[in-house]
Amino acid sequence: MAAFAATAGGLLRLRAAGSEGQWRRLRGAGLLRGLLQPESATGVAAQRRHVAHFTFQPDPEPREYGQTQKMNLFQAITSALDNSLAKDPTAVIFGEDVAFGGVFRCTVGLRDKYGKDRVFNTPLCEQGIVGFGIGIAVTGATAIAEIQFADYIFPAFDQIVNEAAKYRYRSGDLFNCGSLTIRAPWGCVGHGALYHSQSPEAFFAHCPGIKVVVPRSPFQAKGLLLSCIEDKNPCIFFEPKILYRAAVEQVPVEPYNVPLSQAEVIQEGSDVTLVAWGTQVHVIREVAAMAQEKLGVSCEVIDLRTILPWDVDTVCKV
Amino acid sequence: NGKMFSTLNEGLSSASRVLVASRNFANDATFEIKKCDLHRLEEGPPVTTVLTREDGLRYYRMMQTVRRMELKADQLYKQKIIRGFCHLCDGQEACCVGLEAGINPTDHLITAYRAHGFTFTRGLSVREILAELTGRRGGCAKGKGGSMHMYAKNFYGGNGIVGAQVPLGAGIALACKYNGKDEVCLTLYGDGAANQGQIFEAYNMAALWKLPCIFICENNRYGMGTSVERAAASTDYYKRGDFIPGLRVDGMDILCVREATRFAAAHCRSGKGPILMELQTYRYHGHSMSDPGVSYRTREEIQEVRSKSDPIMLLKDRMVNSNLASVEELKEIDVEVRKEIEDAAQFATADPEPPLEELGYHIYSSDPPFEVRGANQWIKFKSIS
Repeated sequence: MAAFAATAGGLLRLRAAGSEGQWRRLRGAGLLRGLLQPESATGVAAQRRHVAHFTFQPDPEPREYGQTQKMNLFQAITSALDNSLAKDPTAVIFGEDVAFGGVFRCTVGLRDKYGKDRVFNTPLCEQGIVGFGIGIAVTGATAIAEIQFADYIFPAFDQIVNEAAKYRYRSGDLFNCGSLTIRAPWGCVGHGALYHSQSPEAFFAHCPGIKVVVPRSPFQAKGLLLSCIEDKNPCIFFEPKILYRAAVEQVPVEPYNVPLSQAEVIQEGSDVTLVAWGTQVHVIREVAAMAQEKLGVSCEVIDLRTILPWDVDTVCKV
Repeated sequence: NGKMFSTLNEGLSSASRVLVASRNFANDATFEIKKCDLHRLEEGPPVTTVLTREDGLRYYRMMQTVRRMELKADQLYKQKIIRGFCHLCDGQEACCVGLEAGINPTDHLITAYRAHGFTFTRGLSVREILAELTGRRGGCAKGKGGSMHMYAKNFYGGNGIVGAQVPLGAGIALACKYNGKDEVCLTLYGDGAANQGQIFEAYNMAALWKLPCIFICENNRYGMGTSVERAAASTDYYKRGDFIPGLRVDGMDILCVREATRFAAAHCRSGKGPILMELQTYRYHGHSMSDPGVSYRTREEIQEVRSKSDPIMLLKDRMVNSNLASVEELKEIDVEVRKEIEDAAQFATADPEPPLEELGYHIYSSDPPFEVRGANQWIKFKSIS
């Protein structure tokens, strides 16, 4: 979850540069909202509990995909998985505790609907889960593996980077594990500390052969997850866990796709480009509004969506 | 160990009041304990053991302290004074106290995240533990570790990723062997973690190099919400070291745990290499405070264990029935323990949080201090270590 500022011309231009000094004086380890308050307020802020520093901003109801239903992020994920298992008879879902519905309720009801040979638990073994998933995918079946928290993905790092990513290349296109999708809850949640808060997309962002995707909302998540599952390359899909319940939107019931490797310009602007993904998109939207209001700066807000391969053209377009 | 001596002292002085008042207690008593199942071992730990009154009172006090400390943590968590993750070990007191009774303070111990009991038995005070849970400066990790990251001398935590601590334990055992001071390392993991690949890598290294490592599987029947039958192809965890000898121990009986630990430590100290112990135990709470603990097991099962196998109750009955202590005396210990926990909780609630300046400390070992970026490039923290 990160943001960086770059202008079309390559120069960082922020009017009212004097406010920078004010920002430095403020103490606050929280996100931007805590920062841009007058000093007196943040003297108290240092001891205040920081839970969520953003407001989820839902997108307008999509009209072009048929009937929609109010869903939060985990329900949108369940809907995507439901659609996948219905369309694709070879699709299987596995991971730790997915059978009863998963620790974040993303797989609720799927085992009852599709059977215990299609939705099943694995023991506690991330390296085994991903390796096993690669094996399933190599035979042509669709494997949807869940890693319980992105923080636990590291035992599987070798399998992802050395086995999954390079399979097609090293076999000269004879074999591939393109029908593998790995899902993992991602990002800070306020009380997760070292091992339930990590955002490890950067570790995977430099590995050719895999795709890395992070959605910002339920509508985006369902479309992107369906695209990942159908994509003929191994994909890692990180789901911002703080949005599982907090993000609620109208989401189409039928399957639909949001394209991979395409960034979305959420708001057009002329002075500064702000690029973000996942939860931080909502923080950046607030920042853009504040910058317009308080500094008169026009920000362009881009949701990168796919971290690898990323949409260079949209970001760099003048 | 200073703390143990002072609690012993308190135990004795209250005992002597009762002694003067009424009757004579036995000095010690012999008890029969369950025979351990053995794997690749000709003989196991003895089936009888002698418990002295002094030891009995000490174990009782320690187990009761762990029990009440965990229950107090439960209470503080529900009051939102403790936040984040909290994994309680009530029900498993015989494991931490029994293991400690079988080793020396100079031996080493490492475990995963259900570690509050071990933190106490390895020598830290309840105050430091509760203050760490509430994230205050008086905590043993200065408030920066929390429930899962508590450390003490010869106690290496307190680790979040299950299974990852086992190769670490093998490494500590290597250092013990290398230093030649006759020390052993107790490397604990749970029934869920027993299926992690790195544990088998550690078994191989420990056996190959004959490391003085006691691998201990704390089998409380459930890995989070998954029962052992649904997770493991073989639930004979004491046999899964394959070429490593193993014993299966009744983890609810502190005397059984103590004897098995002494046996295992002697095995390692004699240079025979690693050994594996499976402690069959049970946790009353769910996996963590966010798990009610009843969706994957019945309340009847929990109740049954509480009424038939509670480790504190088992020790108490034994001591009272063989005249090692009186019910009143043990009740007095209960009262003292409650007070100690209450005082510690007060401290843990009132102590201030660590100052924000310390957020960036101890990232690297660095001299001179350097600056660390915070949530954005204008927030900087000094990093000193």
